[in-house]
Amino acid sequence: MLNGHKFVEVSDVVRVFATPEGEVRALDGVSFDVQQGEFLSIVGPSGCGKSTLAMLIAGLMRPSAGLVAVGGRTVDRPQTSLGIVFQNPVLLAWRSALDNVLLQVEMRGLDVRQYRHSAMELLASVGLEGFEKRLPHELSGGMKQRVAICRALIHDPPLLLMDEPFGALDALTRDQMTLDIQGICARGSKTVLFITHSITEAVFLSDRIIVMTPRPGRIDGIIDVEMPRPRRLAVREGPAFAAYTRQIRDRFMARGVLRDIEDPSPLAPLGGFPSPLASPRGCGSPLTPPSPPGGEGAAGA
Amino acid sequence: MRWREWSPPAITILVTLVAWEAWVVGFRVREYLLPAPSGILAVLAAEWRYLALHTGVTVYEILWGFFLSIVVGIPLAIVIVYSPVLERAIYPLLVAAQSVPKIAIGPLLIVWAGLGIFPKVLVAFLIAFFPVVIDTVAGLRSVEPEMLHLARSMGASEWRVFLKIRLPNALPNIFAGLKVAVTLAVVGAIVGEFIQADRGLGYALLQASAMLNTKLAFASILILAGIGTVLFVIVDWIERLLIPWHASQRVETAAGTL
Repeated sequence: MLNGHKFVEVSDVVRVFATPEGEVRALDGVSFDVQQGEFLSIVGPSGCGKSTLAMLIAGLMRPSAGLVAVGGRTVDRPQTSLGIVFQNPVLLAWRSALDNVLLQVEMRGLDVRQYRHSAMELLASVGLEGFEKRLPHELSGGMKQRVAICRALIHDPPLLLMDEPFGALDALTRDQMTLDIQGICARGSKTVLFITHSITEAVFLSDRIIVMTPRPGRIDGIIDVEMPRPRRLAVREGPAFAAYTRQIRDRFMARGVLRDIEDPSPLAPLGGFPSPLASPRGCGSPLTPPSPPGGEGAAGA
Repeated sequence: MRWREWSPPAITILVTLVAWEAWVVGFRVREYLLPAPSGILAVLAAEWRYLALHTGVTVYEILWGFFLSIVVGIPLAIVIVYSPVLERAIYPLLVAAQSVPKIAIGPLLIVWAGLGIFPKVLVAFLIAFFPVVIDTVAGLRSVEPEMLHLARSMGASEWRVFLKIRLPNALPNIFAGLKVAVTLAVVGAIVGEFIQADRGLGYALLQASAMLNTKLAFASILILAGIGTVLFVIVDWIERLLIPWHASQRVETAAGTL
């Protein structure tokens, strides 16, 4: 599958954000390559800068230091030879599923008639046959995200960037979408950068996985996933799969991103867990850190 | 089952009118204080030529004021959204202008614009255009940032983004502003006529009050309410035609089919 050609090159990238509380270092000295045709996942906790990486590669943001290159050319402007899928499907409410896919074509000033047929085929290939004329509000969350994926593929880009594309979907839909994405990527020779916080999704889909540390985001390790394709959902129960997920989980535990209970008794006190995120600005944690007795914790709540 | 929609307001109005009539007749209320609904309707019928003439003038002023608020307000909003420098230059002025009571500058408008219809149109425009600007700015800004990222990754020109994403996305807000503006334009035209006029419903209203012809005054007010309602319904109807996808419309139609 890999032919050893570097399609995306990220070298020594630093990205600093100015916030009212001062500068925040989102990415700190990140270097990696994505081979042509490779499916590469980036996993990490919320706030580790993985979405920032996607923005840098898409040319929608500049690195504070370091270089990003795609297809051998330094990224210094928004890249157009790629498809992007965000967590939010961002469909236009007044356009049908088909017209939302064709937005990609219209915005590029291409001839819409030439793409109508392939847009229909693409929608049918993700199970949306018969839904082409529906407006977004008539579609389920999973269907909307499928439309968004079709919109990212209609112009047959060599690179597909997906930033937590299944983050807002229910567990069953996620499983189906994971399989669908595998199918879509097997058909072409697309290079895919898949950003997720789901270890399972990353292992299931990827050729390689980059594990990120909490803020500032650095590369904690790169894991090669060598399991035959196509992969069935059942591989997730196999020993090889378990070994890979354990490898990633152990890294998160070593960094304090995940903390197991110390005494494996079923009556571990609720609310007694330390915050799962070491980063002070880390979002997405529903747990409030336990406040020290008599401390200032209660005042901040 | 349509009658379930219109019957509650119709019954409310009918009950109010009957109670009003009964009150005036039963307590022998003097006509110059509060005329009975039947008396007002009789004046409407008797004086329809006179009232139609003044209605025509006022509607003309309202429509011009409303039209100006659109052709000035929407481009101004676009400029504000696209140029941060001009936004900083224009916005404080706009807010300050909005804070000036329009009736206070009425006499000045007469000095500048004369005695004809134009100063009334100006007052209507000045009162109506602020919500158009504010709502259009809000609408043009309400595009999701991810959508703009996508548009840039599609290599789209700013013009295409405006035409295919920003403007259609802003239509619900723009129409919300237009609905407020059209009712304010009615207020503006009457305020303009109160300052100085020799025709129009505001003039008819002042004349009728001065002569204690309360029935005629009520008839003028009734027509004004009718004008406001009809214009609002027209804007609402155009909104339904242009943006059938809009969420609030969906909720309404869903409720309507119950």
